[in-house]
Amino acid sequence: MSPNITLYIALGFYAAGTLVALASLFKPEIRVQHLGLGLMIAGWVSHTVWIGTVCTISKHPPLTNLPEAASFIAWTVFLAEIFLFFRYRVHAASFFVYPLVLILLTVAAVVREPFAQMNPSLRSGLFTAHVLLSTVGVAALLVGLAFTTLAYVQDRSLKSKQRGALWEWIPSLNVCRTLSYRTLAIGFSIYTLGLVAGILWSYRTTAELVNLQVKQIGAIVAWVLFAMLLQLFIRGAYRARRTMVISACAFVATLIAILGIHHV
Amino acid sequence: MSNALLLIGLNHRTAPVEVRERLSIAEAQQEPTLAELKAIAGIDGIALLSTCNRVETIVSAASEDVIESVVNWLTTRSGSGRADLEKHLYVLRYEDVIQHLFRVASGLDSMVVGEPQIGGQVRSAFLAAQRCHSLDGLLERLFEETMRVAKKVRTDTGIGEHAVSVPFAAVELARKIFGDLRGLQALLLGAGEISELTAEHLNGSGVSQIFVANRSHERAQELAKRFDGHAVYFESIEPHLATCDIVIASTSAPHYVVERAHVERALQSRRTPTLFLIDLSVPRNIDPAVAKVDGAYLYNIDDLQLVVDSNRDLRMKKAEQAESLVAREVDSFRRRLVAQEVVPTIVELQEALEAIRAGELEKCLRKLGPITAEQRQAIEMLSTQMINKVLHYPILRLKESAGEPHERESLRQTIRKIFGLR
Repeated sequence: MSPNITLYIALGFYAAGTLVALASLFKPEIRVQHLGLGLMIAGWVSHTVWIGTVCTISKHPPLTNLPEAASFIAWTVFLAEIFLFFRYRVHAASFFVYPLVLILLTVAAVVREPFAQMNPSLRSGLFTAHVLLSTVGVAALLVGLAFTTLAYVQDRSLKSKQRGALWEWIPSLNVCRTLSYRTLAIGFSIYTLGLVAGILWSYRTTAELVNLQVKQIGAIVAWVLFAMLLQLFIRGAYRARRTMVISACAFVATLIAILGIHHV
Repeated sequence: MSNALLLIGLNHRTAPVEVRERLSIAEAQQEPTLAELKAIAGIDGIALLSTCNRVETIVSAASEDVIESVVNWLTTRSGSGRADLEKHLYVLRYEDVIQHLFRVASGLDSMVVGEPQIGGQVRSAFLAAQRCHSLDGLLERLFEETMRVAKKVRTDTGIGEHAVSVPFAAVELARKIFGDLRGLQALLLGAGEISELTAEHLNGSGVSQIFVANRSHERAQELAKRFDGHAVYFESIEPHLATCDIVIASTSAPHYVVERAHVERALQSRRTPTLFLIDLSVPRNIDPAVAKVDGAYLYNIDDLQLVVDSNRDLRMKKAEQAESLVAREVDSFRRRLVAQEVVPTIVELQEALEAIRAGELEKCLRKLGPITAEQRQAIEMLSTQMINKVLHYPILRLKESAGEPHERESLRQTIRKIFGLR
């Protein structure tokens, strides 16, 4: 049996879960949302099995190439979503997080690469810390962006006095902003530590601080944009449109950084 | 065993308030009244639901003869002639009682569809009846199921979530902006009736501090005292704009009292850049340009009315969902009740026929003498299949007898007689 079977099962569940959750935009019933969540959790369990299989076969964390990194980010993003859902009962995040998880795992499934064996020179604690921290940080930042988007949608609905399809599902503006700020702040701190670990590892192995390739440029631009976003929150200078523009740019930069990952 | 489940009563659709108020039973009078009704011959169980919109008796009895006694009791209580009262009364039976109670507790039969108080009132009726031991097993199950269904309807459809009055719509919007209203501060400009009511609802929802500014400072003080708030001079409202989260304006001033520049300055000086402004006055007191300021959410009386209208439509849509949910639950509960009543008969029937089969098989095998295991198995299978086929229709009819209990009881007795069950 192919070790990737659990990946495809996870993908199937994620696709079904995403479709069902999106259907609740047209049929706003809580049981539709719950069905979507149930399917996503089933997908996540299968996804976890696949990650475990990768670790067992390759004997290293599943972060050595694009499919593995995309899959691990998707896994962490959904883990964060489950945690926030059970803590705050925010259903609306599913409309952004589920498709994101589905897209990231689709990347993992489409970009077929054999289970990579890690270059022995990369078996260092610093490198592992860099990869793990950056991945977890990016996952938290992506969830933060989902909440920033929800806050923006809510702000527009309240301003225009028009209820969109999301109105029923989005929590208060205050909750969206608070969750957005908290996840961005946590994600940014972890991501920064990850980048510092990466710079130190790069300096130790190549005597260069930064090797400016696409993923590094994307990562640094994303870091700057996330810093700007956080600064808006901290200064209390939150402006809906400006925040959304910076968030969109940060999302693109993060995607470039993820898609720029080659074999390491 | 109770063969009749009945509901006798009247509500806001069938009776005017003059009739309802005469029958209305105060909370303190519920238990003695229940005891009085329970003493009527033939009643196995009874509960009373008395609210400002309805007075209903839910009765479980051996036969429908008790209807007469209950109507007589209601007539005496109303102090009017029987014919006068009867034109307002409705009598529901069995499945209709279940459906009616499920609908009532879910708020589907209320004057304002989806209103939440009725759920609590049904629960109180249940608890009062429980306290004076006036419920039998059937009513106990019915009320427990009713409360479960009402909760399910509210959770699954969200029928009560949307405000259908201007003050509640304002509170709902405030919640959509701030989430939890506890600890927030509100500024009341002027003292119009709706603004007072809105402030009262905000206060009830946890807004911690209310400042009142009015042209007449005495009136402001009077109002502030009501909300345990503070009166402020109308000329010095600007510093309060910077600290308050919600502003309700309803003065009779013919000009704007809150302008864009005020709000911009207020938002610049605060940590959380959010201000909810409700303008209930005509002519308007808050400059419409305020709505363009980032972080300021301005709603005037028309906007709130639109919210209310849209919520009403939404509730009607949700009521449709709720009706189908109630219909499913009625069917499921009815089936469970039927199963509970007919299962002992079905089991007895199966046991009796199995005993006949086993006895006759034994006799037959003795007559046949030695036979092979395959032959014995074939004979056993034949007898079992015959018994199953004989039982098929009686069991099916019993399970399907979901109509009125006396019909089911008559079928049950017939089957027992035919098959000689004791």
